[in-house]
Amino acid sequence: MPKTKTPPQPVVVGVYLDPHALVHAAESARDRGFRGLDAIVPYPIHGISEALNYKPSWMPRITKGFFFAGAAAGFTFEAWSMAVAWPINIAGKPFVSVPAYMPVTFECGILCAGIATFAAVLMAARLRPRPNFVPIDPRFTNDRFALLIPYGEEGPAAAQACLAGTGALEVYEIAS
Amino acid sequence: MSTQPAVAPQRPVPAPLEEPPIYRADLTLTKVTEDILAPVFAKPTRQWWTAFLIAAGCFAIGVAAVVYQLIVGMGIIGIQWPAMWGTYIANFVFWIGIGHAGTLISAILFLFRQRWRTAINRSAEAMTIFAVMVAGMFPLLHVGRTVIAYWLFPYPNQRHLWVNFRSPLIWDVFAVSTYATISILFWYQGMIPDLATVRDRIAKTGFWKKFYGVISLGWKGHAKDWHHYEVAYAMLAAIATPLVLSVHSNVSTDFATATAPGWHSTIFPPYFVAGAIFSGFAMVVTLLVIVRYVFRLEDYLTIDHMEMMNKIILVTSMMVGYSYFAELFTAWYTSNVYEQYRFYGVHFDPHFWLLFHGPNAAPAYLMWSCNVFIPALFWFRKIRRSIPVMFILTLFVSVGMWFERYTIIVDSQMRQYLPSSWGAYRPTRWDYAVLLGSFGMFFSLFLLFCRFVPVVAVAEVKQALRRQVGEPPAPQPAMEEVNA
Repeated sequence: MPKTKTPPQPVVVGVYLDPHALVHAAESARDRGFRGLDAIVPYPIHGISEALNYKPSWMPRITKGFFFAGAAAGFTFEAWSMAVAWPINIAGKPFVSVPAYMPVTFECGILCAGIATFAAVLMAARLRPRPNFVPIDPRFTNDRFALLIPYGEEGPAAAQACLAGTGALEVYEIAS
Repeated sequence: MSTQPAVAPQRPVPAPLEEPPIYRADLTLTKVTEDILAPVFAKPTRQWWTAFLIAAGCFAIGVAAVVYQLIVGMGIIGIQWPAMWGTYIANFVFWIGIGHAGTLISAILFLFRQRWRTAINRSAEAMTIFAVMVAGMFPLLHVGRTVIAYWLFPYPNQRHLWVNFRSPLIWDVFAVSTYATISILFWYQGMIPDLATVRDRIAKTGFWKKFYGVISLGWKGHAKDWHHYEVAYAMLAAIATPLVLSVHSNVSTDFATATAPGWHSTIFPPYFVAGAIFSGFAMVVTLLVIVRYVFRLEDYLTIDHMEMMNKIILVTSMMVGYSYFAELFTAWYTSNVYEQYRFYGVHFDPHFWLLFHGPNAAPAYLMWSCNVFIPALFWFRKIRRSIPVMFILTLFVSVGMWFERYTIIVDSQMRQYLPSSWGAYRPTRWDYAVLLGSFGMFFSLFLLFCRFVPVVAVAEVKQALRRQVGEPPAPQPAMEEVNA
């Protein structure tokens, strides 16, 4: 099935110097009924997720799920290889030596959980090598905070007014 | 009848403890970016080249020794019956231990919300990775037939044989490879936003712009990305914490599950982990003293941070000191003649001046003095806060910890149960060359790291700085979700 690419939606960008101002602006825009809000920040700001109505991240479920799956797979493989594939009597120990299998079981769980969590971050943030990457504004990875409000047929005026009214230093439009 | 007053007198409420500032109050976000990224953009200095060439030269000596060993065989190094585990295993245990401080700083201190870690975690994590890489080579060299070292892993093979999962040596294979993988992922994930900062600061197009574009993976810094990123970072920290404790515990079981006197002890896992953290922190301090001086990062790697690390060195020094004492005490108290022969021999052998010439007390004297007595100087605040003194003391710790590993591993094999199993171990020049090469490899990699990526976590420093200047108390969603 061919991939369908959503056309870029135009957004109004408000640039802030202070993270408090950004959080207040996001809350204000949310309360005024703007939807699809986004922010770009140089470091994580506490309070912005609530202001933008983000649900709790699903990362912990990935980590926990893959930990138990990895650990179960590790233990199953140990038991299979030692007791089924080629059982060898080693010092009279049981073929399924549960305590002795625990370290590898644990390490398999951790390995799977770690790789899955990292892969989930790559997917969630859509990260991939981009040699020709062009940032919206290089200051957003340095010292400026941006609030992005998408607009449709109604035009950018309302969003611009909202951003200007919340102390944005600059307001401009881009095609997202 | 009670004579208590109807209303209890109110106690004065103590003022809440205030955290001392972590960074200078006048630092701005732009200045943080510029200061930390300066070494990445600047051309390497003459000092950097000098250090790199020396390190690379040492590495080359090690490589030459390894190549020679692979050609002519294991006979050139010092191992001989009964001491078949020599400096290679001591180096392995030593370097794995060095790596532990990085994970402790990045994961455990993160979970404990120690914000001063933001200055040091990047370089400490890098140190972990390079130390584990160096450590991982030694078992491969030690097995002798290095080209078939992949037999250590369970893989489908023609003879349908599998590895013995009850063996601690196989636990090590899994523990060390998992540790290396998770450390690299944790380090790289933490670095992605900073690499994006580097990418966005490179003005001109060309190779380096593309290079940082590739390794920063198109990071934009959207709030949604940070939202997942922070939770994922906390989850990685949560799994790295038990991992780091398990790795050196597993390494210690290589010895503790054997019956040799001096090895067969239940104290080994905590003893090894404490020693690992101790030696790792010493190495972090040694490296950071150089880094803060060479790259002019005194505003970020402050004297307060160095003092914090010295306090951890002091605490872990007491832990290892307690372990040394407990081993000696156990040998005496149990009246086990084999343990006593081993421990009294290690500590009181009269030929202590014959370092590296068979069984003698010199390594143990170095171990006690460098790991227990000399670090006790960190009880004094002036010494904890003196850069030259801490540099020298941490070098002593590194030396002492290597000799601790040497004592544990080699001495026990020289003093086994039967007189026919007594013997002498003496490293050869090839052992020394490979040891030198391991330091060369470690420092070469560390110097390259300093050259190409920010040595301090820019985004994390900014976050800590911002909180310090009055951001409202954080709701800390990441940890709440971890607990949930």
